[in-house]
Amino acid sequence: MASLIRYIIRRLLFMIPVFLGVAILTYGVGNAAGSPLNLIRVGLRNPNPAVLEALTHYYHLDQPVWQRFLYWLWDLMHGNLGVSISGRPVASQIGPWALSTLELQVLALILSIVIGIPVGVYSSKHQYSKMDYAITTTAIFGYSMPTFWLGIMLVIIFSFNLGLLPGSGAVSVSYYWWGNPLLDQIAHLILPTLVLTYVNLATIVRLVRANMLEVMRQDYILAARASGLSERTVTYRYALRNAVSPVVTIIGLGFGAALGGAPALETTFSWPGLGYAFTQAALTLDIPLVQGITIVITLMVLVAILITDLTYALLDPRVTIG
Amino acid sequence: MKEKLLEISDLRTYFFTEAGVVKALDGISLEVNKGQTVGLVGESGSGKSVTAQSVLRIVPRPGRVVDGSIKFEGEELLSKPENEMRKLRGRKMAIVFQDPTTSLNPVYTVGKQLTDILMLHRELTKADASKRALSLLERVGIQEPEKRLNAYPHELSGGMKQRVAIARALSCEPTLLFADEPTTNLDVTIQAQVLELLGQLQKELGMTMVMITHDMGIIADMTQRVTVLYAGKVMEVADTPAIFKSPRHPYTEALLKAVPSVRQTRALEVIPGNIPNLIEPPAGCVFHPRCKYAKDICTKDEPPLEKVGDGHYTACHLWRELNLEGRTG
Amino acid sequence: MSEEHLKRGASQWSVGWRRFRKNKSALIGSAIVVFFIAVAILAPYIAPYPARSYLPLYEGEAGTPPSFKHPLGVEDSGIDVFSETIHGTRNDLYVGLAASLITTLIGVALGALAGYFKGAVSDILLGVIQVFFVIPVLLLILLFARVFSFLVFKGLGLTLIVLILSFFGWSSIAFIVRGETLRLKEMEFIQAARSLGAGSFRLLFRHIVPNILSPVIVVATLNIAGFILTEVVVSFLGFGDANTSTWGLLLNEGFSLVRTDWWVSLFPGLAVVLCVLGFNLMGDGLSDALNPRLRE
Repeated sequence: MASLIRYIIRRLLFMIPVFLGVAILTYGVGNAAGSPLNLIRVGLRNPNPAVLEALTHYYHLDQPVWQRFLYWLWDLMHGNLGVSISGRPVASQIGPWALSTLELQVLALILSIVIGIPVGVYSSKHQYSKMDYAITTTAIFGYSMPTFWLGIMLVIIFSFNLGLLPGSGAVSVSYYWWGNPLLDQIAHLILPTLVLTYVNLATIVRLVRANMLEVMRQDYILAARASGLSERTVTYRYALRNAVSPVVTIIGLGFGAALGGAPALETTFSWPGLGYAFTQAALTLDIPLVQGITIVITLMVLVAILITDLTYALLDPRVTIG
Repeated sequence: MKEKLLEISDLRTYFFTEAGVVKALDGISLEVNKGQTVGLVGESGSGKSVTAQSVLRIVPRPGRVVDGSIKFEGEELLSKPENEMRKLRGRKMAIVFQDPTTSLNPVYTVGKQLTDILMLHRELTKADASKRALSLLERVGIQEPEKRLNAYPHELSGGMKQRVAIARALSCEPTLLFADEPTTNLDVTIQAQVLELLGQLQKELGMTMVMITHDMGIIADMTQRVTVLYAGKVMEVADTPAIFKSPRHPYTEALLKAVPSVRQTRALEVIPGNIPNLIEPPAGCVFHPRCKYAKDICTKDEPPLEKVGDGHYTACHLWRELNLEGRTG
Repeated sequence: MSEEHLKRGASQWSVGWRRFRKNKSALIGSAIVVFFIAVAILAPYIAPYPARSYLPLYEGEAGTPPSFKHPLGVEDSGIDVFSETIHGTRNDLYVGLAASLITTLIGVALGALAGYFKGAVSDILLGVIQVFFVIPVLLLILLFARVFSFLVFKGLGLTLIVLILSFFGWSSIAFIVRGETLRLKEMEFIQAARSLGAGSFRLLFRHIVPNILSPVIVVATLNIAGFILTEVVVSFLGFGDANTSTWGLLLNEGFSLVRTDWWVSLFPGLAVVLCVLGFNLMGDGLSDALNPRLRE
């Protein structure tokens, strides 16, 4: 137990420089886009010099970069993510976006794990069979395609041509699909979740299969069989536990990558999440908004990694030493 | 009257790989009497481990037993259904594996690995199983067994891990134990201890043991009878003293020569050449490419197992002409 | 069979090559890759129209679905999809290969240094590698792409993307190289070389680096696939160079036409899938051939 706690603390400590690194990169690049003053000047045409001066003060523009960075960081710590070019504070907008994104990502993640692990195990137990080839081939296609493109294709088929499912948004504006608000939400979730789940599945199935193949060759599996344990116990309790740990790490990193892929997926489905907002903000050079969203997404990724690290440690106690 | 515990006849175990069919065991026969310690000796790749796996019918894919008969306590094992085999494994017959680092599951504690088996075969409650596991650890000579019960394998030294592996194999007091190179991966100083432990436990439990090794020194110390295996075939079978005094097969002679002193334990390196390709084994006598006495007939005809003395058999065309050197002491 | 090996030489590479040759999917992947490389090289000669050309518009064929004359259809603006896809092949392959090459060089250099030299240098490098590993890279790539194209004059286009991808993409190789270097450092042949008088850099580059090549080659190949996918996403979202034909740009244009001109989304997408699949199969094949752990 003690080593577990020490391990968690170590991981937390590691995350601090990571967070700082991202903060520096984000702030640095945003800053390179130009002083907010210029951007605002462009937006407001010919503002009053008094206004300009007030803004200069507000953004601490009379001080060197690194100090501005620290001010920004300080605000960050207190939940103040700045004000977007549109005038609204960033923090208030992020909430609903974040929820939308998480709704999609977490659902897809759970589905892909729940489906992916059994499929991977099955595939490894029936290596070289036709089913195994079918599964592996489907998996390879899955991570060879741009996620959003699959989304577009499905929207074309199921939404435009067949009219079976909604092709955009998280909820409908004028009427409810399938009768009531709840079913409406579910209807809207189906296509994007399907796409995201499939792509996540591809990686998980491959990894579980590969790890299981390797673990099943180990001596301790042979020893477990030699002790008379049933094949099911050997596979699911002895082998899987060993095979799944690296998968857990990959899932954590994969979640980060998936969040990174959110812009494209959400744009495809006009899904009102962080990714969609990020894209719009970046295109319009709304720097404070961009910075705010990046920080929030980074935090999400770090939390995901922490959870997976914890799960890994619970599954494989060897990792808590040293 | 000696009772036959294990009787293997003409066993063939092949591995069906992409590169071809590997004939790991190609017609071996073996007899073990109750209470004996029988040695199974040969280089790596000779099929020793596969023999143990075949008896327990846990040969890993892509291998399987293709022919032959294995009788345990008079019953034919190869025709038994899987669920009955499972009742025998761990309960009536067990294996101690070579490398305790890989034969113990790294993600479960020592205690759990022991109690799992105890609860399976003995239908004990968790509490009783834990108690029994504790006494097992004591029996194999592990200090502070309470602490070790909750330890993970990687927290133990090599010698301790192997003791745990032995405890696991003996947890249900099997009738037959296969010790597959139990000391090869251990420090020299620990080896003697572990061997002594095995000998002790065997006497206490009245177990029959098959000692699988490449080391003639261990054979001399621990076995009463020995079978020499090479490339999946039996080369020579005899009582241990007889095989040391008068070996009747060139391979056995070479094995004896490769050990400078019977007490020393070193891997064999002195026989020139390598184990042959088991997909396309040499024609005739499978040892002939490395045999310094090989004659023409050895390259053509496979030598049958012939009786050369009381309980002493050899598979060599030339055993009558050859005057092979044995070892004393 | 064992004698054959002795005759032909049993170096890691010849054994690996033999295994690779026998691997069906690896061969398929390589064939696909060769196909795309050929298309890329021959692009100017086989594409019916110049890059970004609106000629079909003047021929009255804007917005037409696939036909004999325009096998993959035409956009509403007059751009021929087939032609653009061919031009895109050249540019996307350029991005993938260039970024992979640069990240491999950086990754090997930094990873070897991080693995070889103990102490603060190594720890800092490891920290940096891990930071890059973890951050939501795509977001920063998009941000960098937008900001720098805003700042820098147009025309750098693809090279800018390559540089940005390289800046963010070297961590996977560095991580592996660091791991391998650490492992090899302790091996006996290194100590033997040292006992014969070899100094640190010589050890590093003459002895260690050649031994880490196989995992590096595998990852570098798979990275090509990844970089192409990233480029496609970047251009699709509108952060790429609007004057360079890339598959992502086609998909971007296709998206605005998605209700009417499905062919602009389907075919460039298929090209991406096929090309990336090719590199993935090849990379997997290389991995199986050079790391025979999973086969016996």
